[in-house]
Amino acid sequence: MAEINNWDWDTKEKYIADINEWKKKFKAVREISISDDGERIAAVVENNDGRFTICNNGGVWEETFERLWKLKFNNENQLYSLAYRDYEWGVGIDNGMWEEKFDSIWNLTLTPDGKGAVANCKKDGTYGVVLNGNVWENRFADARNLAISPDGTKTASNVQTKSIKVADIFAFAEGIYSIAIDGNPWDRNFMSIWSFTFSSDSTKVAAEVMLDVGAFTIAVDGKPWDQVFGCVWEPIFKPGTHDVVAPVKRGATWTLAMNGKPIWGEFFQIWGQKYSPDGQKLAATVATEFTKWTIAVESNAWSRTWNETVLAPHFSPDSRRVAAIVKEDNRWTIAVDGIPWIETFDMIWDPVFSPNGDKVIAKAEKNKKYYIVVDGKIGKNGYDALWDPVFGPDGKKVLIKCIENGKYYRRIVPVNEI
Amino acid sequence: MLKYERKEIADLGIDESVKRLTPEKITKTINNVLKGTGARLKAYLDTCIHCGLCAEACHYYLSHGKNPTYSPVAKVKLTLWEMVKNKGNVSPDFIAQCSRIAYTECNRCRRCSLYCPYGIDIWYLIALVRRICLLLKVVPQYEMDTNYSHAATLNMMWLKQDDWIDTVQWQEEEVRMEYKTARIPFDKEGAEVMYTPIAPEPKFKPQLLAATAKIMHAAGVDWTMPSFDGWDNSDISMHVADFETMSRVERKHFEAAFKLKVKRIVMCE
Ligand code: SF4
Ligand code: SF4
Repeated sequence: MAEINNWDWDTKEKYIADINEWKKKFKAVREISISDDGERIAAVVENNDGRFTICNNGGVWEETFERLWKLKFNNENQLYSLAYRDYEWGVGIDNGMWEEKFDSIWNLTLTPDGKGAVANCKKDGTYGVVLNGNVWENRFADARNLAISPDGTKTASNVQTKSIKVADIFAFAEGIYSIAIDGNPWDRNFMSIWSFTFSSDSTKVAAEVMLDVGAFTIAVDGKPWDQVFGCVWEPIFKPGTHDVVAPVKRGATWTLAMNGKPIWGEFFQIWGQKYSPDGQKLAATVATEFTKWTIAVESNAWSRTWNETVLAPHFSPDSRRVAAIVKEDNRWTIAVDGIPWIETFDMIWDPVFSPNGDKVIAKAEKNKKYYIVVDGKIGKNGYDALWDPVFGPDGKKVLIKCIENGKYYRRIVPVNEI
Repeated sequence: MLKYERKEIADLGIDESVKRLTPEKITKTINNVLKGTGARLKAYLDTCIHCGLCAEACHYYLSHGKNPTYSPVAKVKLTLWEMVKNKGNVSPDFIAQCSRIAYTECNRCRRCSLYCPYGIDIWYLIALVRRICLLLKVVPQYEMDTNYSHAATLNMMWLKQDDWIDTVQWQEEEVRMEYKTARIPFDKEGAEVMYTPIAPEPKFKPQLLAATAKIMHAAGVDWTMPSFDGWDNSDISMHVADFETMSRVERKHFEAAFKLKVKRIVMCE
């Protein structure tokens, strides 16, 4: 919360930029991106010669590129970008660039402290991870996806440790994938690996792995659980511990298992499990039957279910309440503690709890306009574009980042005036 | 007595894989799969009166000079019935025959069920055979390889994550030679439509992506494509009865749409 406290929560309105002007000035404006505190707005813009650069609060970067994308402000309001010219990729940071160049770079992600950046990369024909400009020395035939440790010092990726001939199904079945941490692979391979994550103390990595056709489990630091399942989904660590929790399928039903042993009842489907901020409660998206989606907290499903989808749960900061995006009959809304808002929307974004958990707000779309919705009540103003609202530290004010008539504004609005 | 006679076709995925089977593994796998079938399998097997009316429905039967071994009922008789009758005790060579029939002599059109007076779902029965062959890893090589590609990369053509991104960005450059303001907008949150191709497009015919971009541009569609896994709408795992990989691929595809906040998924074929 430290940086949120430092944001300007007093100035009612700041007019930051006229995007319509940008559209007149440049041949094209793409990928508008906003800083967390709303003070900056940037976009990839195309010059008349067809080359791309960045317009950031009206200031234009002198460098131009053939390809430019993935704008991302860090929490110091420096702007990262992925930029390509003369057959090389680089990482832009404000008006400078990392020295290191790449064959390709993707999955650009901010480091946990919100300042640095990490990405997958290919360099000299081999694949790995780059953290703040430092590329893994050990690289591989492929690297897919990445994770960074909570302390920001270690990076992991799903790597292909062996190259095999085209359609060599036998070599594949012996296992060619592993997790590499800082370039050092686990001492065993798997047939496939999907999501992977670090423990809160940054010392361990858990991953969902395929042992054989139809046989799956979770591996921690390369060691698979003793139990083998019909399917598994993404694992998480219990905060402050080395216990790993993952959805597992036994027979026709799913449960949550901790370190291989079931800890929940049986469901038709389970995924998206999450611990409460205090680390005491577990919630997950579940289906109690086919097309009956809901949230379960500590294995107890809400009684209301939705027929199309329920996205992953969000806990309030005080761990008391749970909210989730729900969809039924092609209409979206939010449900809090099992009770859906009455109003439904064409689209809705993640629920945002107030610091004490009493209020829930979200960005929603109705008839091509975007609104802030407060506890189910749709706000007065419809915007042309809007970003996720942020509660101020006292929970009484909300930061609204919006575009109205082509102009970008940063506003601080008391929650009861939305 | 039905005699299964075919021209020999070499396929590593079948010929080599059956050499790795043991009788125990075959029996255990068959019985595990059959255990999970409940009343449906029993009802179908008990109801069939072997009338052969389903034969005229099947294009494999018709296009092989009405050779009776290509009739739907015969394909079940030559595979699943034997497994059930022998309580799973069948030979590796028999599994090779099952794999050839289930994967290459029935393309799950389900026309036969419409011809059957009892509506017996022959495809369901053949799919059980595919499931058994899959778990025994006796699957035609290129089908298994494609399935493994889905399992490893979530796309059917072994595309690396940066291959996909680069191909789409390259095709955007191509289309912009003709239509200066056209785009292939990656990861545009809140777009109306998420468009997803099948992986053979970026792999073998990337110009199809440019063609799509032209259509979207001309039609004024507010569209996007995911730059991350979940961009491939194909699912060969479903065909080979690898239902675990199938559901993983589908989940990723839908989650890409949820992440991008689109209202519709539009797919090519
Ligand atoms: S489902 Fe298979 S057996 Fe039945 S008609 Fe179609 S191809 Fe022939
Ligand atoms: S038509 Fe139906 S009952 Fe007759 S042989 Fe075919 S599956 Fe059996």
